[in-house]
Amino acid sequence: MTRRSSTPYKLLLAGLVAVLLVGVSLLQGQLNGQRAELGLTRITPLENAPPVLAFTTVALGSFRGLIANALWIRANELQLEGKYFEIVQLADWITKLQPTFDQVWKYQAWNMAYNISVKFSDPADRWRWVRRGIELIRDEGLRYNPNKTLLYHELAWHFQHKMGQNMDDAHLHYKQQWALEMEAALGSSRTNLAELVSATSPGLRARAEHLRTKYKLDPALMKEVDDRYGPLEWRLPEAHAIYWAVAGLKLTSADRQNKNDLRTLRRVVYQCMQQSVLHGRLLSLQPLRLEADLAKVDAANAAYEQMIANEPDIPDSFRVAHRNFLLQVVYLLNVNGQRTDADRWWSALREKYPQFVPANLSAHDYTLQRLTGGELNSLGHDRVRTIISGLIANSYASLAVDDDTRAASLEFWARSVYSSYSTNIARGQQRIALPPFPEMKEEVLQRFLAPESGVDPRVVDRLRTKLGRPAPAANAPPSP
Amino acid sequence: MQRTLAIVRLTWKAAFRFRLFWVLAGLLMLSVVALPLLIKDDGTARGFTQILLTYTLTVITALLGFSTLWLACGTLAREIEDCQMQMVVVKPVARWQVWLGKWLGLLALNATLLTLAGASVFVLLQVRAARLPADQQAILRNEVLVARAALREPLPDLDGMTEQVLKDRLKDNPVPPAEVPVVREQLRAQLAARLQVVPPNHLRRWEIDLGLRRALLRGQPLFIRTRFHVAETNLSGTYLGLWQVGVPEKTRVWREALSQAADTFHEFKIEPDLFDDTGRLTIEFINRNPMPVLFPLEDGLEVLYRDGGFGLNYVRGLATILAWMGLLAALGLAAASLLSFPVAAFVSASLLIVFLSSGTLSAVVQDGSLSAPDHETGEVRKTWIDYGLIGFYRVLLFLVNAVQAFSPVDSLSTGRSITWGQLAQAWGTCVLLMGGILGSVGAFIFSRRELAAAQGTT
Repeated sequence: MTRRSSTPYKLLLAGLVAVLLVGVSLLQGQLNGQRAELGLTRITPLENAPPVLAFTTVALGSFRGLIANALWIRANELQLEGKYFEIVQLADWITKLQPTFDQVWKYQAWNMAYNISVKFSDPADRWRWVRRGIELIRDEGLRYNPNKTLLYHELAWHFQHKMGQNMDDAHLHYKQQWALEMEAALGSSRTNLAELVSATSPGLRARAEHLRTKYKLDPALMKEVDDRYGPLEWRLPEAHAIYWAVAGLKLTSADRQNKNDLRTLRRVVYQCMQQSVLHGRLLSLQPLRLEADLAKVDAANAAYEQMIANEPDIPDSFRVAHRNFLLQVVYLLNVNGQRTDADRWWSALREKYPQFVPANLSAHDYTLQRLTGGELNSLGHDRVRTIISGLIANSYASLAVDDDTRAASLEFWARSVYSSYSTNIARGQQRIALPPFPEMKEEVLQRFLAPESGVDPRVVDRLRTKLGRPAPAANAPPSP
Repeated sequence: MQRTLAIVRLTWKAAFRFRLFWVLAGLLMLSVVALPLLIKDDGTARGFTQILLTYTLTVITALLGFSTLWLACGTLAREIEDCQMQMVVVKPVARWQVWLGKWLGLLALNATLLTLAGASVFVLLQVRAARLPADQQAILRNEVLVARAALREPLPDLDGMTEQVLKDRLKDNPVPPAEVPVVREQLRAQLAARLQVVPPNHLRRWEIDLGLRRALLRGQPLFIRTRFHVAETNLSGTYLGLWQVGVPEKTRVWREALSQAADTFHEFKIEPDLFDDTGRLTIEFINRNPMPVLFPLEDGLEVLYRDGGFGLNYVRGLATILAWMGLLAALGLAAASLLSFPVAAFVSASLLIVFLSSGTLSAVVQDGSLSAPDHETGEVRKTWIDYGLIGFYRVLLFLVNAVQAFSPVDSLSTGRSITWGQLAQAWGTCVLLMGGILGSVGAFIFSRRELAAAQGTT
């Protein structure tokens, strides 16, 4: 046995290793600090990473780029071939190899939610991919990049655009699935967020924890958002888009460098407020029925005004958006029977944008124009008759679901179109005259009640009950 | 034969003596068990099964491939360098028999390991499938754990049609001979467009002849696999098409309005028995978009039908992988017949990497140059190296494509049938033809080699 292989020598070496390791671990923190101070590295340290990921990113070194390239190429090739079953795994590897590169997270999530989802015909399949895209940013991207504004905007955009708007054939399915999930997650707390924040009972604590861990929603921030812009319908995507935009805004300092980030996030807020007005009231989940939520008009208007105030450099584009929003509000209020409010907003619109609103045009006339799609005198007899029948049919449909106010309003507008046409256009000319209004109403009602109308028989029965019309006798002869 | 079998036995013994068999078996089992725990799927049973099949079979192929090359080089080159081979060849056994025995030994070793790993994957799939709800099981049995064959419309003779039209045109409107190729090309493009493009609100009909299969396909659901392209995109990214299968008043009819994305394959199930008594299946598509859509002639539409069960298809898939292993064993042995162990291992591993880089090879051959084309002009600047190498690359690509044409992993994961004919072709190409050439060269070199001159330094 040589001296070098003796036990004391080995022990000495082991001791030396231990001492050096301790020394390195003590120095490492100081070295990292100096690297950051002196700007010796451009790589942001990875935060919140599990040990396997931290090890992989360090151990692979520069080879990470090569592997990531190969994975990008494979993912692209598979996508071109229409093979999507590997995409989730490849996206996971690619993002893990470049965890602090926010564009990678953004691209991968967008690819899943926008490109891959539409490749499927079944809405359930599409929803799976849209949700994957959202989860990728929310659950992982933000975990490693909690200060990247781009990711907050992208996440908010998925809620606002992909789920909230109607560009995708399956958007109603997305909204329904999300609403079902949120109803289960929020339970009764969806209208009382304060109880979630205080979480006094074990049930509430569990619910708040579930929101934090699964959906990464902080009840305190939810309440803050709800107090400021709401009450919001948290079962709909717009509320979540606003939540993530506000979360991003909180992280973004208002210096000149971040102006674009701030602008895009603020835009999400006011656009979502507008969407909430247009379809922010959830009437039923199965089937999904949405309606305009006119109670949010004031809050949405305030969001627009805030945006204009925050953007003194380019106020015009936001003013155009604001003006269009107010026009929409006037129309919606009128159609829903809130004519006094419509007149109030019309006055506000005229006061704010006087050059835009003709002096002789009233809110009533404007609504009539929108309902008919133009000036009455430019429309033919048949088109006017179709518009009136459509308004009457919608009035009966509203009546059947117990929305009496809207039903009365729609009938009012049907009568308005009728009388305006009869007085100003037909003027007693039999050639282009409309049948009497009650006759038109009866004709539409008969079509609505007929078995071949395609209307749900339960809805037809409810309307019959409401109007006191008897049910048809069994085996009744067909009407001539 | 007995002599060859004795060498086979020796190869096996060496594999066990060096614990290679157990290490490989352990690694294969580990990959089969660990992969399902590590991989992320798309959340569907179908997606999980597809990715599991793809990744496990790929890992098995890669592990066996590299170990086969390594072992093939080692078993011959090391034995020569360590002078063990001198003890063998003095026995009454021909050198070619030694070579063949080693190859058969490696093939048998691979067959055993492949059976072991393949059976584990199969059992794993069956167990997991059995735990799924009935509707998911039905999807798996119909679309993934099945062997489906495809039927297409016969491709039209575009060149023949073009020549006919060109002849007629030239009769009426003669053009100078120099312009004939351009006219021909234009006519061909016009004819191809007429066959492929469906203008807005127009109909495209496919007639697929099921032939004698119709008797077997009664009561069986069929699948349509389709892909189309659009010239301009819309906001939603999907395009409405009205599909009809069957002929009204002649057969049962299936109709569906589908909003589908362009540039990707779609697969949808249609009801059984929509074909007529002669086995003709009529499929119609009405384009309800403001823009034309284009169904490529090659893969625009095909009808998938059940051709057999997954089990036998899977066995054929594994047998195809075994054919690859046979080729790799022949490659390793051929290299080791001439070269020392490290050089043989390096050369054969390099060839394997070339085999895996067929994409790059194909791009080089397509561009006609090793250097990339100018991004601005698209011009390719050729050098003298290109003239020498491109031809060689072309041959190499031909060989690589000939082997890769039998990729069973893709077929198995998408539920496509691997026929006995394809299997025979794979064995014929990989083992008999390419393996045979490598084997002949390897055995010839080994027979001529002066073994005592190749002693190692240890």
